[in-house]
Amino acid sequence: MSMIEFKDVEKYYGDFHALKDINLKIDAGETVVLIGPSGSGKSTLIRTVNGLEEIQEGQLIVDGFDLHDPKTDMNKIRKNVGMVFQHFNLYNNKTVIENIMLAPRLVLKRDEAENKRIAMELLERVGLADKANNMPSALSGGQKQRVAIARSLAMKPKCLLFDEPTSALDPEMIGDVLKVMREIAEDSDMTMLVVTHEMGFAKAVADRVIFMADGQILEDSSTEQFFKDPSNERAKKFLSQVANH
Amino acid sequence: MEKNKKRLFGITASILLVLILIVAGFWAANRAHENRMHQDTLARVEKTKTINWGVKTDTKLFGLVNTKTGQSEGFDVDLAKALTKQIGKQLNMKLTATFTPVNASSKVQLLKNTNIDGVAAVMTITKERAKIVDFTDPYFPAGNSLLVKKDSGIQSIKDLNDPSKTILIALGTTAADTVKKEAPKAKVLALQDYASAMQALKAGQGQAIVTDNAILYGLVTENPDYHVVGGIMGYAPYGIAFDHNQPGMVKESNEALAALKKNGTYNALIRKWFGQVQGLDVSQLEVTQ
Amino acid sequence: MTIFNHYSSLFYSGFGYTLLASLIALVASLVLGTLFALLQLSKKRLWSGLGNAYVQFFRNVPLLIITLFFYLAVAKVIKMTGFVAGTVALSLYTSAFIAESVRAGILSIDKGQMEGALANGLSYGQAMRVIVLPQAFKVAIPSLGNQFINLVKNSSILAFVGGLDLMYQGNLVAASSFDTFTSYIIVGIFYLVLTLPLSYGMQYLEERLQGNR
Repeated sequence: MSMIEFKDVEKYYGDFHALKDINLKIDAGETVVLIGPSGSGKSTLIRTVNGLEEIQEGQLIVDGFDLHDPKTDMNKIRKNVGMVFQHFNLYNNKTVIENIMLAPRLVLKRDEAENKRIAMELLERVGLADKANNMPSALSGGQKQRVAIARSLAMKPKCLLFDEPTSALDPEMIGDVLKVMREIAEDSDMTMLVVTHEMGFAKAVADRVIFMADGQILEDSSTEQFFKDPSNERAKKFLSQVANH
Repeated sequence: MEKNKKRLFGITASILLVLILIVAGFWAANRAHENRMHQDTLARVEKTKTINWGVKTDTKLFGLVNTKTGQSEGFDVDLAKALTKQIGKQLNMKLTATFTPVNASSKVQLLKNTNIDGVAAVMTITKERAKIVDFTDPYFPAGNSLLVKKDSGIQSIKDLNDPSKTILIALGTTAADTVKKEAPKAKVLALQDYASAMQALKAGQGQAIVTDNAILYGLVTENPDYHVVGGIMGYAPYGIAFDHNQPGMVKESNEALAALKKNGTYNALIRKWFGQVQGLDVSQLEVTQ
Repeated sequence: MTIFNHYSSLFYSGFGYTLLASLIALVASLVLGTLFALLQLSKKRLWSGLGNAYVQFFRNVPLLIITLFFYLAVAKVIKMTGFVAGTVALSLYTSAFIAESVRAGILSIDKGQMEGALANGLSYGQAMRVIVLPQAFKVAIPSLGNQFINLVKNSSILAFVGGLDLMYQGNLVAASSFDTFTSYIIVGIFYLVLTLPLSYGMQYLEERLQGNR
């Protein structure tokens, strides 16, 4: 069963054609990595999946809901589709544990004791149980991102979107975040769509790799094939550039 | 800690500032008080060769600003001009009349501060006021009346003696005392001036305006749906006011007023301003020799 | 001081009405201002246009004219006293300024806060109420403080429509005591009694919120 399906999707910002004729199907449980040069439209694409960006043409079906249909209740989709941002976007006015407990309390009406238990469990899983009562401003970038992942997981989503989760981090912080992401991909049947520049992560975790440039999908192949022998010329060039880096 | 100290300093400083303001205020008030003790109005008039009169700007027939010239026009203004001329004659010098707009709350203060020499601004002679200012002989016979809507059915102030009724007055007029005496149960609302009171009456914020009949007639000429009822409550004539303790100026003014009444100037002014008013018998206002 | 002793009941009653009008207008203008700030920021053209029109209108018309409009025109249809008319006008007038302060506060909050909350499953309303507005108010406190102090002083507009407030009683005392100067000094001190604590209260709040950032 497909979790996310793009059919002939077009997206414009005014005159700028941001996404061109996107056709893409991601099955439930799959881990897909989206790569490409900056400005290629990967972030725009991932942001359409939970409706942060609107599409102008085509069909986008997420978890059985048609996002282009104005009658669709976006909140129902977002309940089941979590997102981790480049700049974390933790609630600055709430403590770490409140960041995690807020949405389950307001949206899922989860019992308070249960809510707290789950939140503490998640904090332990990302290695930050001792920071539960800190404000986000007291955390390092890597710690913030791990809290953000815990916050998404607390909603028990079917699908998690990662929009360049390590791009804003100092190099020594990246490892901890990637480790958490890898564990999620390996332990659960969660669908994951990840925009990243971390080729090592892609090689190790992804089932599929999608290469984008200029708003188009240029290559969509299995991880093994992509890294061994990409069929698209620009993908080849991109890979060699990244490897030389 | 540092912040607390800062805040404490701020609070202390503000309180000090307030105290200084208060003290300075009372000091200034005292100085004004002393000043007025030593100021002789007649001497000042003789020195400056002008009399500066405080007149109304919003009172039809007595002192209303002509929007074209920006000058007040009315009975008070004309009388003040005539008095100035007459006093000049008595003093054997040429006096000029100048005019300063005043309102109910400012007129006495301006007089005390010697910003103006005299007040000719529909000012009713009362005992209370006579303690603070000097009045000339009455120059206009007036008394409080009621202005109501023609279809209101209200005939006298007794119809308004009820807590559900609101009587509109203009700030600083003697109407407040009249209402307190004649209709103690009614609510009283004081508005800035006669125009505001009229607007409030039209908007239904009250059932009647109580003030001097002469002023009410002025309001009626502009608002034909309204009429004056209830007769005259108490004889409360207008007088010209000068600062307290000015026997010289009062004596000259009274002489001048008598002269104007005698030579017909007074009656001419009465006819000029009140001759056209409907419902008013102008001959009652004229003086007979 | 004799003036104060002689007319103290008038001053106290005026102080009471000024305090009451200020409190009502403060709450009402905060609620209305926030509401219209949100309208202005709405993605729907109609709503944002409506919010904008409201703010521009009440911000650019003198308070006295709004007050007289309610007292003289609206009162013909809906009965209201000068106190009510003045308080309503004061609330609407101030709400336009508060809307601008709150709107600026909301705009100063990183867009990521709203996106994070939406992506987390919160509705727009919940995200606004729980995440964005509390942070926006914190930013807006100094400018809100200014609006509140202006509100207390502007409440003297009630005197124009017989609103029984401090300034109205001050006018009465000035007119009947003939001592305009002292009367208004006393009135001014009463206003300070209201505005100074408000001023320091807002400053204190600002420091405290800055502290636990």
